[in-house]
Amino acid sequence: MDRVMVDFVKALRGNGVRIATSETLDAMHALQAVGYRDRRRLKTALGVTLAKTEEEKSRFDACFDQFFQFNDFEQFEDNQKPEPPPASLLQSLLNPTPQPGAEPQSELGQLLLQGSPQDIAQSMAQAASAANVRDIRVITQKGLYGRRMMMAMGLEALEQEMWAAETAEDPSQAALGQQLRQARERLREEVKHYVERQYLLQASGDSRALRESVMRETRLENLREFKDVQSLVRKLAKRLVATHSRRRKVYQRGKLDVRSTIRHNIPYSGVLLETHWKTKRVDKPKVMAICDVSGSVSQYSRFLLMFLYSLTEVISNVRAFAFSSDLMEVTDWFERENLDTAIDLTLDRLGGGSTDYGRSLDTFTTLCLNQVDHRTTVIMLGDARNNYGDPRTDLLQAVHNRARQLIWLNPESRLRWGSGDSEMKRYQPYCTWAEPCQSLNQLERFISNLLRYSQ
Amino acid sequence: MTTPTHPISVDQIQAGFAQSGYICNDDIAMTMFLAYQLEKPVLVEGPPGVGKTELAKATAHYLNYELIRLQCYEGLDEAKALYEWKYGKQLLYTQVLKDKLGDLLKGAHGLAESIDRLHEFGDIFYSEQFLEPRPLLQALQAEQGTVLLIDEIDKADHEFESFLLEMLSDYQISIPEIGTIKARRHPIVFLTSNNTRELSDALKRRCLHLYIPFPDAALERSIIQTRVPGISAELQAQLVGFVQEIRKLDLKKQPAISETIDWARTLLLLHAEALTPELVESTLNVLLKHEEDISNVKDDLRTLFNTLLKR
Repeated sequence: MDRVMVDFVKALRGNGVRIATSETLDAMHALQAVGYRDRRRLKTALGVTLAKTEEEKSRFDACFDQFFQFNDFEQFEDNQKPEPPPASLLQSLLNPTPQPGAEPQSELGQLLLQGSPQDIAQSMAQAASAANVRDIRVITQKGLYGRRMMMAMGLEALEQEMWAAETAEDPSQAALGQQLRQARERLREEVKHYVERQYLLQASGDSRALRESVMRETRLENLREFKDVQSLVRKLAKRLVATHSRRRKVYQRGKLDVRSTIRHNIPYSGVLLETHWKTKRVDKPKVMAICDVSGSVSQYSRFLLMFLYSLTEVISNVRAFAFSSDLMEVTDWFERENLDTAIDLTLDRLGGGSTDYGRSLDTFTTLCLNQVDHRTTVIMLGDARNNYGDPRTDLLQAVHNRARQLIWLNPESRLRWGSGDSEMKRYQPYCTWAEPCQSLNQLERFISNLLRYSQ
Repeated sequence: MTTPTHPISVDQIQAGFAQSGYICNDDIAMTMFLAYQLEKPVLVEGPPGVGKTELAKATAHYLNYELIRLQCYEGLDEAKALYEWKYGKQLLYTQVLKDKLGDLLKGAHGLAESIDRLHEFGDIFYSEQFLEPRPLLQALQAEQGTVLLIDEIDKADHEFESFLLEMLSDYQISIPEIGTIKARRHPIVFLTSNNTRELSDALKRRCLHLYIPFPDAALERSIIQTRVPGISAELQAQLVGFVQEIRKLDLKKQPAISETIDWARTLLLLHAEALTPELVESTLNVLLKHEEDISNVKDDLRTLFNTLLKR
């Protein structure tokens, strides 16, 4: 019982559910209180003690269903055998109809058609350790290890006998062949489930970590290939929120808040017993993001916006502007639609066309230069390739003078800044700082800095 | 006063809650059972209006415990949540006892001796008589079992959350002037959250986590049945069906159970027999709380009714 529980917790952890040891203990207590007869209730009880957010709940549900695929709680009571596959489903492996004469000769055939579920389970466990199923690391290995396990159980002899029996003319032999074929198919199912469970236990966590580290280093323009990139961005954003939402007040030790001190000491008839010190509330940064959405740069803008809109807890106000040949505000779309729709809408309206930084900056300054104030951080994302047009650095300077900080993110590496039609070198003096931003890692680091220094 | 009931099984809890007018599904009853058995606090999350606070009230009613409620808000601190000294009383007593003190100190030679005499009386002014217990302390000191409801914990600051940890894991609290106060009987603690911010892992670890979603049609019907008994079965089915359909739309704020109940009461007052588009249109503001949502639903009213009638 303990062992199954520990394995289950391990599988959950591998699937991204955070579980502390104390929670495992709670789950054990819950199990004792509830019993394991009623599968649905057991699921609720474990879910309540182990999964602590909505997202974790859905992961828990999936994992529970996969882990306890059949009603196999008998093994809770069975501590002796190391890892017997569930007995009830093995019952189905046994052919209930009596043998019509012919007896299987191969070892595996005998086991499958005549052995008890426990024997089969035992044999499967042995085969699993012979095939080193525990070493499974990636999902594509499932077939390989399944095959190895079946070979270790003596599949070859079984198949030979099966083929021989099927081609034989004796009807009882042919019937045996039929039975053996069915038994083999059922065994294949069993082994597949067994290996899947092992994978769930051993590897899904590792492969997830591997995948995430790959995703974080991949250039952003190629990231669309990955399906779960949005959940990764959300995860990174959540971590940023956690680190940066803590300190909303900075205590300035050494500066007495006279008014507050007097007010709080009224109960002591004005004798100053309690001192109150001045605090400073930390403002959430106001952010204006101006994103180039032409050509390949649009993918970078997409991820920047994805990040910014996942950070509403620590950033009070995000306004998004998109431009290629001209600029417009797209804040509304991002607030109302989901991310993908908003990005598609933006690309539809503005994508394509030759980039014109000068004109876009002009529109931006007429649109809302007066709303840029000392609390505003302006983020500019673009490759600064202006098709040899007028860069209008004077406008950027105007923005820089009003804003708290002006940050330029460039998807190209530093070496290419200023080459060809890139105006980056001319814009750079008016940026508080400018950075290349090519992967999620860099983007995360940038946002973290943004939150730290804008306070 | 009847004797407190002790829940032994999940079904018992469900039946008991139903008696006090709170209809719940298996998951909720199960969580309550575990909370009682394991003596663990319960963190209840879910959209507003699904009955998170009601759950605590129903538990108090069912167990016949006193309900102590602490509403959280930004800036909530120990003085308001745990205890405060009765400054006025302390001050008054020192004034009244001034003469007594004079008598006491009469004949004492020098400062040292006076102070020694004062010390004999110990910390009179910082004893429990001068302590003003706030909800958390009340819950710990209660002789009878209590249900402690810490409402909307996500509205409180991070500091307060950390402050609660001792209380939640060991049912005790340390007061600097007095020492550690242990619970006489472990209260049943509920924390509710609307998820306006992420709670810390430390807090979550100490709690059972219950997520209450919007109810399905069958559950919602039985809730309406209990809460608004006078309503006809036909109207009840129609209105629950309508609300369930509305929840599928993309709205700013989806109608919760409390709003369904309000709507049912409104319809009952209007002596409605069946839902008509006109009736819905005129009472929609009970169900939806945003102008935008109301106009959206009004536009779709015909199609909504068509889907309802098809069933």
